[in-house]
Amino acid sequence: MAPDAATPRQSPLGRSFARIIGRRSSRLALGILTAIVLLGLFAPLIAPYDPAAQPDIVGMKELPPSLAHPFGTDPYSRDVLSRVLYGARLSLLIGSLATLVSLTFGLAYGAIAGYAGGVLDAIMMRILDGFLAIPRLLLLVAILAAWPQLSVAALIVFLGVTGWFGLSRIVRGQVLALKHAEFVTAARALGASRRRILWRHLLPNLVSPVVVAATLGVAHVIVLEAGLSFLGIGVPQPGASWGNIIRDGSDQVAALWWMSLFPGLMMVLTVMTLNVLGETLRDAYDRSW
Amino acid sequence: MATLKLAGLLLVAGCVGTEGPPPKTSGGTLVISAVGDPDLLIPALTSSALGLQVTDLVHDRLADIGDSLNIVGDRGFSPRLSDTWTWGRDSLSIAFHIDESARWHDGRAVRSGDVRFTFESFRDSTLGASVASLLTNIDSVTTPDSATAVFWFRSRAPQQFYDAVYLTPIMPAHIWRDIPPSAWRRSPAARAPVGTGRFRFVRWTPRGSIELAADTMNYHGAPKLTRVIWSLAPDPTTAATRFFSGEADLFEGLRPEHMATLKTLPNVRIAQTRGLIYSGAQFNLRDPASRARPHPLFGDRELRRALTMAVDRSAIVRSVYDSLALPALGPTVRMYSTTDPKLPQIPFDLARSRQVLDSLGWRATTAGGTRARNGRPLQFTLSVPGSSVARVRMAVLIQEQLRQAGVKVDVEQVDIPVLVDRMRKRTFDMVIGGWQAQASPGSGRQSWGSSGSRARDGSNYGSYENPLFDTYVDSALAAFDITTRRALFTKAYQVIIQDAAAIWLAEPIPTLGYHSRLQTSGLRPDAWWGRVGEWWIPDDQRIPRDNAPPPAAPSSADTAARKAP
Amino acid sequence: MLRYAAGRLAQAAVIVAFVAVISFALIHLAPGDPFSGAIDNPSVSEAIRERLRAQYGFDRPLPEQFARYLSQLARGELGWSHSHDRPVRDVLANAVPNTLLLMSIALVASFALGILIAFVQVARRGSSVDHALSGVSLLFLSMPDFWLALLALLTFTYWFPIFPVGGAVDPVMHEYMGLGGRILDRLKHLALPALTLTLLASAGVARYQRAALLDVLPADYIRTARLKGLTERAILRRHALRNALLPIISLIGLSFPALLTGAVFIERIFAWPGMGYALVNAIGSRDYPLVVGSVIIGSVMVMAGSFIADMLYAWADPRLRGT
Repeated sequence: MAPDAATPRQSPLGRSFARIIGRRSSRLALGILTAIVLLGLFAPLIAPYDPAAQPDIVGMKELPPSLAHPFGTDPYSRDVLSRVLYGARLSLLIGSLATLVSLTFGLAYGAIAGYAGGVLDAIMMRILDGFLAIPRLLLLVAILAAWPQLSVAALIVFLGVTGWFGLSRIVRGQVLALKHAEFVTAARALGASRRRILWRHLLPNLVSPVVVAATLGVAHVIVLEAGLSFLGIGVPQPGASWGNIIRDGSDQVAALWWMSLFPGLMMVLTVMTLNVLGETLRDAYDRSW
Repeated sequence: MATLKLAGLLLVAGCVGTEGPPPKTSGGTLVISAVGDPDLLIPALTSSALGLQVTDLVHDRLADIGDSLNIVGDRGFSPRLSDTWTWGRDSLSIAFHIDESARWHDGRAVRSGDVRFTFESFRDSTLGASVASLLTNIDSVTTPDSATAVFWFRSRAPQQFYDAVYLTPIMPAHIWRDIPPSAWRRSPAARAPVGTGRFRFVRWTPRGSIELAADTMNYHGAPKLTRVIWSLAPDPTTAATRFFSGEADLFEGLRPEHMATLKTLPNVRIAQTRGLIYSGAQFNLRDPASRARPHPLFGDRELRRALTMAVDRSAIVRSVYDSLALPALGPTVRMYSTTDPKLPQIPFDLARSRQVLDSLGWRATTAGGTRARNGRPLQFTLSVPGSSVARVRMAVLIQEQLRQAGVKVDVEQVDIPVLVDRMRKRTFDMVIGGWQAQASPGSGRQSWGSSGSRARDGSNYGSYENPLFDTYVDSALAAFDITTRRALFTKAYQVIIQDAAAIWLAEPIPTLGYHSRLQTSGLRPDAWWGRVGEWWIPDDQRIPRDNAPPPAAPSSADTAARKAP
Repeated sequence: MLRYAAGRLAQAAVIVAFVAVISFALIHLAPGDPFSGAIDNPSVSEAIRERLRAQYGFDRPLPEQFARYLSQLARGELGWSHSHDRPVRDVLANAVPNTLLLMSIALVASFALGILIAFVQVARRGSSVDHALSGVSLLFLSMPDFWLALLALLTFTYWFPIFPVGGAVDPVMHEYMGLGGRILDRLKHLALPALTLTLLASAGVARYQRAALLDVLPADYIRTARLKGLTERAILRRHALRNALLPIISLIGLSFPALLTGAVFIERIFAWPGMGYALVNAIGSRDYPLVVGSVIIGSVMVMAGSFIADMLYAWADPRLRGT
């Protein structure tokens, strides 16, 4: 079992990165994702228009794609390209921050349960089973329907606190396995403190599964947020999220095809690259075992 | 009566209809593509356009208004449930004789007691019908015999006859008598109306369809169509697609974006005319948390005026409706002869709006940020029905235009029943409402006058009150001379426009699409569905749904079940 | 086996109780009165309001309210849906069968399709067909449910109007059709939503099953079979597939939440009158009891799915059969 885990020569992150670079498909995915992240990051500099501005609500609404508006305009004369770029910013922001919230909860909960063991572990796991039984989308709809007009920050928190259940179970499994691993027993025998064991030995070994879960988690949150915005309980108007843009054009899908096509493609591309990277990473750590 | 509308269209006679020989045949099924469900099916209580259409076909009034929409005296009115009427010598009473062949759809004869019952019910404050405030000139209804109902009026007024016959369709006393008025809205009978109209109610499947069938034994003769069905779509897009694909014969929610599709459909006709609908963003002048206090923002007339100035209404109307609407003039429509089409408005002036907001103490700390005063941000919620594309569009346009003035607007989409509920409870900041006016401009009093504001269930949802407005409207309604009427109405509108009770938005031009196989002979100007009983579909253009067997008439057992709540 | 089932059932009961706690918390944390829709909606008559107040005992201390709530749930009472003007239980009783129909068709079809794709891929692993199918399944896996449904709606009701726009039956004519016509009408309305959900679900199945097949290929018995001279395809069919069926069974349980989520969006877009459609409409009509009722029933469905999968697993896995 993991002979190199006790004295990692190469950090887990470094190993994962090497794995990604080693594969053509994941190299491509990483490139595309980096591009999308940069587009989102620098959206205020790149976007030709203010995403909420309605420059000419009579003359410039519902324009098909052209040189001036490569992705066309929406029924409010807003530039769809600018909205898609800001949408990348918002979707990625929501995706990563919500996943960060999930990670915090999931790591803490899983580590405590796994490390404590015994009755506490059993109780914590049963509670987890309960949470896992509730489909995340339904839980989110119930929360968001109760508090309409939520801010983006609140949306992030809710997406985060409904996303850690699966992760904490993985973490707990890892902690449980490592707790009884030889190198930990050895460290304990050598008189290492609990905290030292946790920091020096357990956490580094958790990095790989956590990175995988986080990558796939971001993809999942992006899809969820888009779905909620499409249902009208996600990002409020005039915020530009991919789900919102599609919703704005959904009463004339055929006529305003550019409003579902472009944000949809961006979303598929983002989620696909995240999935490829996530799977590559999973393969990487699966085989290193 | 001013009803909240989903989307509604009315036609002026003569603009539509097929010329040619009188119908040689009759029959067929009319399928209307509609959005959502009605709130309930009680005439004069329903707040939805759909409910209005259904109850109008199922129920009869004492007399029908003429195509001229005359409301002074009884000129133009034609007999319906009442076959003859006699005016009292002092004009303070009208005796209506009930058509003795009239039968309720459950087979019972119509009596004068039904007429009296209807009036007393709608006047009952525990029922909370908003039409009550328009019935104040009627003192009482007496029934000297079972076929005669006499209306007694408090004073002579130009609209006496109209008030008596038009505002409340007659309801069956034997069904409603045993239900306390406060329970009407929730009773099973509210979802299965029994009337005397030429169509009888068959079924209502929520989110599915509402079906009416020809009342073959009707005292005015069986209608030509066998059935009328409203196919209820969950959203406007589906409703439009059902019409374009031929699943429905008629659709009243046509929008500018449909026009391109319509050109490719040779069998679809469009009917367009002037209407009786206006929409606006209504301010709630009372605090949503407590009706006793003024609204923390909109209690201030100057603030309402400043917000109005920041909104480019004519651009919004053109953006949303293209040529299918005109900017609204105020709480009125151009079709009234008493409306001056050149009513002065609060002009669109963003710079001035900003100045006024500054002078009122609403200042932004950062450029382009939201204004605030004493720590309270200039922010409110604008509620719109999600089922109306036009109103959602207008809301998002207003949101951005007010953002330019430093005002933060949260747009909230809800279903019609929820919105109606909030309006009745006055727990909103601002709503984009649609008002379906009636043949009489007097309906403005109900929606914008003090009586509509103070009544427990009045339909002046924004609680705008100005005695000057009330006085002008009342004087106008009491005037027999058209020039005086118009002058007084103009003064009344001036008061309310300058008080900015709402940001008046659009006066939609009713645009109805229908399949050419539909023979629409005779359309009433105040309601396109008014003469549906005379429509028919020629034999050679029938499709399977036209020949489906007519549904069975309800058995007496059904009726008994319906009566017991 | 029986003891295992009983234990698993007890576990499920604990989880249901936990879901009840969460839904109770949701109802009480939501702004306004608990069951606010019904309580402060004036169209709800005073009599019904009183009955609801008494039924749920709002003035009582929280623990007692919770006890009442639990006993209501145990009797299948989920509250009053004011937008439908009926008990939530009745609304869902009409809607859930439609959702189950959609989900079960998609479940069966997507597993058939997904396993077939995986089989083809593994039989030609490394080939361009394998790569192409991997790409396609990844594409569908990454596609948001609502987006694919919108595309399907656009393609098959607008550009190529083969299917009706939405609903479970023709809203006008269904009542008047004969038995054959009714069945055909239902199938016509079912086809597009079921197809969309199947496409979405089969992508996951294919990827999972491909990995599972590849996992068992290096196993000893396969090596033995190979030594016996069996062809690659025969090995796949006879040995690998049978052994890779175990992970498939656990995937059935795992796929329920995803199917349910997909059904919510698909029902919304195709106006399919199932639980997801009721749920989405309940948002606009602020019908909170219906929202919470859907969450509870959705959770029960997910749990039932994983329970069935576990039972199947226990039955299929010889190592567990004896216990």
